[in-house]
Order: sequence, then structure tokens, then C-alpha cells
Amino acid sequence: MRTLIFATTIRYLTPLFLIFSVYILFRGHNHPGGGFIGGLIGSIAFVFHVLAHGPERTAGTYFQLTFYHQSRQEHYSLPRHMWQLLQANTWNRVKQGSPSPWRYYMLRVRPAYMMATGLLVAATSGFAGLLAGLPYMTGFWLPFKLPLVGGLGTPLLFDTGVYLLVLGMILKMVFTMSKE
Amino acid sequence: MHPDLLLVLPLLIPLYGTLLCLFLWQREVWQSIMTGVVQLLWLGSVLLLLREVLSAHVVSTQIGNWPAPFGITLVADMFSVLMLVAAAVASLAVYLYALQGLDLTRQRFGYFPLLLLLQMGISGVCLTGDLFNMFVWFEVLLICCFALLSLGGSKSQLEGTLKYVTINFLASGLLLSGIGVVYSLYGSLNLAELAVLVREPHHPNLPLLSMASVFFLVGFGIKSAIFPLFFWLPASYHAPPIAISALIAGLVTKVGIYAFIRLFTLVFVSDSGITLPLLAGLSALTMLVGVIGAAAQTDFKKILSFHIISQIGYMLMGLAIFTPLALAGSIFFILHNILVKTNLFLVSGLVAQRYRTFSLKKLGGVYLLQPVLALLFLLTALSLAGTPPLSGFWGKLMLAKGGLEAGNYILVTVSLGVSLITLFSMTKIWNEVFWKPRPRTDRPDTILPPVSKLRRRMAYLPVVFLLACILGMGIFASPIVRFSERAADGLLQVQPYTDTVLAKSKPEQVEESKQIHETALHP
Repeated sequence: MRTLIFATTIRYLTPLFLIFSVYILFRGHNHPGGGFIGGLIGSIAFVFHVLAHGPERTAGTYFQLTFYHQSRQEHYSLPRHMWQLLQANTWNRVKQGSPSPWRYYMLRVRPAYMMATGLLVAATSGFAGLLAGLPYMTGFWLPFKLPLVGGLGTPLLFDTGVYLLVLGMILKMVFTMSKE
Repeated sequence: MHPDLLLVLPLLIPLYGTLLCLFLWQREVWQSIMTGVVQLLWLGSVLLLLREVLSAHVVSTQIGNWPAPFGITLVADMFSVLMLVAAAVASLAVYLYALQGLDLTRQRFGYFPLLLLLQMGISGVCLTGDLFNMFVWFEVLLICCFALLSLGGSKSQLEGTLKYVTINFLASGLLLSGIGVVYSLYGSLNLAELAVLVREPHHPNLPLLSMASVFFLVGFGIKSAIFPLFFWLPASYHAPPIAISALIAGLVTKVGIYAFIRLFTLVFVSDSGITLPLLAGLSALTMLVGVIGAAAQTDFKKILSFHIISQIGYMLMGLAIFTPLALAGSIFFILHNILVKTNLFLVSGLVAQRYRTFSLKKLGGVYLLQPVLALLFLLTALSLAGTPPLSGFWGKLMLAKGGLEAGNYILVTVSLGVSLITLFSMTKIWNEVFWKPRPRTDRPDTILPPVSKLRRRMAYLPVVFLLACILGMGIFASPIVRFSERAADGLLQVQPYTDTVLAKSKPEQVEESKQIHETALHP
């Protein structure tokens, strides 16, 4: 079901969902919210994008970085060559398809890696307590508070891990199911 | 080392192993190396914990430094640590077997991370000091079991898994209801605090506790395959490959029994006049039905699966008799059974690797081709049946002696009779698989050509390793018997357990944490 209205709407809604999910993540320590719910809300953005454009485009748009590279042409100086590379990788990106001298490298964020990273962050956040000679997962907070975000500390790190884990899990499920 | 660190290590080591396996997804060689390292580290951490428990009896830590009835408690006493040691030894052997006995597809699609997560679940169940956390760890364990049982996705596997999933969801629902009831009765789920509250003679909700205990009886009864609720076990354990079913058959039902014994010695002790005869009846029937079921089977794996049920009966018997000696017997028996049952499954796997079948009718003559394997099987099987110098004997001796001292003559008679039938059943396997001449078949190529000598010896390694542990347990039984007796004492005398857990919550600290909760809720 690919409709123009849906596809256009989702383009504007995606950043909204993501910002809201991060807000939920940050307020979660003392209020309703937290990593789990934040992750779920964040994943809604991508789920809608998958519904509108298909899993390949979602993965290509949000979870893949392509770096372009070519060896220096003979009559180019080094600064000019660097400038060309910078241009090709940022605002004036290379169009794929036509035969071009550009080689490209892809950096993919697979959902499984996102889950693993999330678990790693969450589990490792507990070590702060052990290092201080206190039980595992004892919370430590920085003495100052940031506006909008609130306090920063190891429980927030844990929640961030949960956020990534949930996001990765949902994406994995959605990508797998929409392929079949 | 500090108990704060020691108690979380058995949980964190498998967790980090899983993480590394996820980062190395589909690179089975790296994953297997990583898993091997993690197995050794896990065993090491558990042994360190054992050393700590030997000197301090009970050690506990409060996750996040929240005091005891509010925070998450991790406790280790002798019983839980002994369980973990046996589990670590058995899973090391299964891992060694899986290196050569499991097909590459299953290795590539997540066998190793699931194995590690399962171990984390086992550590969690054994170390937790909180009823709800125990439930959660059980779910961790069961989800890994679901995934492992269906790994590979052959038809019979999916059928078995479906049965397993359905019945276990039912059990989880019952447990969760039971936990809700307990919480509504006593307002706490911390096992140590519950143990104190339950022992207050005039608590108004005391008569209702036995109602809650029924939920746990049925729930854990399903999970550990006790008499009327065992039917799912043989149906689902025989389907997956040996590297998976050995692990699940050897460990997971025993973890159910662990939770059973822990709860019915610590919390649900109030009306032992009703529970103990009930448990005695259930254990006798479990033993009988399991062993009779096994006698009717003609499949190597299915016979072993039915024997799991019958041995669960023995483990329950000590709890039903409820004397220190009988409980120690139960604990010894659980340890012995984890090793022996895993080993028998591994032997059946080695036989099936070469002959491509588990059917007793089609097998035969293994003794002539692989005399060493026959010897390994014989010793393990005799140990299971309980022949004197081997480990099974000591467990049964303690149980029988405890039963006779307590005057439970019927139960003891049943258990000894069942021992005899177990021996018969093991003799049946010996005769059919190893001793009788190989039946003529139409297909001459059912015997696979033997692989290289080194690989074959490597394949024997886990079985030899486990057998060495079993023989050690039988011949040098006295330290392990002493450990089991200490574990049983720890179960019956709850004072050190509750004191260690609740000592961390001094009144002023409780007050302080209440204040923190308050400010957290209303900033």
C-alpha cells in the first residue's frame, strides 16, 4: 500500500517521532517514560517508513552510510582532490547507476548490531557501581542538571541501552516480516 | 573477592559472551572460540563463588544498592552454588560435544549465543533472592529453550517445540498468578522477607498461604515434569539434535526442581501436614510412571527422556520426607543426575552420529566396533541405576536412609523398586544397542565410515570428561556428601539466609531509601 499522502506525511512525522522518543527517554527516570517506551515510540517512525517505502529504502535511508572514494586524478593537486572527495561525500553526492570512477564503501547499521550495542551499553553502565566498591548498578549522577534533559547519570546510560535494544529488536522484526 | 562482584559474575560472563557472539553473527568459528572461553570463565567464577560460600555460608548483594525488601537481591548459598557448579560442568561438556556433533547450519544461526543466554538464565534462577525475579529468569531460560528446541526448524522439532511452548506458557501463567496472590497476602516478594513473615505464627493471612502454594506446585510441577503433568517432556525432548536436547534434558528440568525445593523449604512451609503427604504421593507416582513409560519405549532417546521423569521423582522424594539427611540426598541426587543424564544423552548422540538412528531395533553390535564407547555407556548407566561404588548409589542410599528414619516405608520401597526397573531399562539399552549382533538391513551404508582417529577421540572427550566427574563423585563421595548436607542444613535453617539478606537493610538505610523514593515520585 504505497500512497502519496502517506509517504509525504511520514517524511514530516519521522523527525517528530524521533525527537519525542528521545524526550521520553530523558524524562523517564522520574516520570512515566524511559528506554523501553522511548524505543517503542522511536521505532514507530521507522515502522511507518517501512510501510510507506519498503524495508530496503528504510535501511538505505536511515541505517546506511555510503562513502565515495576515487584515486587522485593526475592534474589535480592534493587540496583540490580532498575538496572533491568532501564534495562527493556531503552536499554534492555522487549519483549511482551510471558508470563512474567512484568507488564506494557502505557502512551498515544492522538491527542485530544495534541490539548488541544496546545490551553492551546497558550492562556496562552497571560497572560504575562495582568500580566504586558498591553493588552492581549503583546509580551515579552528575552534580548539575541540564535544561530540558534533566540529570545525567549511569541510570540514563542504562536506559539508553534499553532504548537501542528495543529499537533494534523492533526493526529486526519489521524488516524480517516485511521481506516475506 | 568482594561478594558484590562475585555474585554478578556468573550472570555477566554469559551475557557478555552473548554480546560478543551477536557482534560476530554468522562467524561460527569465532563464536565457538568465544563460547569456549566463556564456559571456562563461567566455571571459574562459579568455583570462586563456591569458595566464598564455603567460608561465609550465605553471601548476598543488593543490585543498585537499594536495601533488601525493596531492591533486587542476589543470594548464593550452598544449594544454589552446587547447582551452578554441576550446571557449569555439564554445559562445558555439551559445548565440547557441540563443536563436532552439531551441524554447521545450526552453529551459524545462533546456537552459541542461545547456549550462553540459557546459562545466564540458569545463573539467574539459582542466584535470585526474589520471587518475581525468579519468574523472570525462568522466562529467560524458557525463551532460550524455545529457540534452541526449534533451531533448525525440522518438522518434528517444530511439533515438539509447540507442545513445549504451550504447556510452559500455561505454567508461567499459573506462576504469575501465584506470585500475585503471594504479594497480595504478604506485601512482599523478597524471599528472605517472605520467609520471616511466613514464620510469624499469628499472621492473619497465614491460612491462605497454602492456596498460593498450589499455584506454585502446579506451575513448577509442569516445568519440572512431575506426575500428572509430565506428558510434554518425552514429546518435545527427543526431537532436537543431541547437542541441544542433552543440555535441556540435563539442566532445565533440574532448575525447575531447584526452584521447587527452594520455595517449599523457604516460603511454603506453613502447613506441612498437607503438603508433605501430597508431595510423597506425587514423587512415588512420578518415579513409577516415568520408569514404566521408559520400559515401554524402543527408542534410545525416548527411554532416556522417560527416565528424566522417574528421576525427578527421586529429587522430590527428599523434599517429601523433609529431614536433613533426605534433603541432602535429594541435593546429591540432583547434582549426580545433571552429570549422568547429560552424559547418557551425549553417548546416545555419539552412537547416532555413526549409525544414523536411535531405534533400538535397528541398532546393534556397537560393542564390537566401539568397545570404548560401550564401556563409557556401561559405567554411566550403572551410575544412573545406582550400583554401589558409583555416584547414583550414594544419593539413593541417603534418600532411602532418610526415608527409613522418618518412617516413610512405602516411599522407600517404591524408590528401591524403581531402581531395579531402571537397572532393567539400562540393561535393555545395553543388550539392544551394544551387545546383540547387528541386525541385517537392506541399506548397507547405514554405518558411516569412521572419521579420522583424532576427530573420533575428540568426540569422546566430553563423555570421558563427564564420566571422570561422575566417577570422582562416586569414589570421593564424602566431600560432596558433606557439601550436600551443608546445603540441606541451609535449607532447613533459614535464619542465616534471612539474616544475611536483611542485614543489609538497617532501619536508617530503609528510611533513607523511602525518602529517596518519595522525592523521586514527587520532585
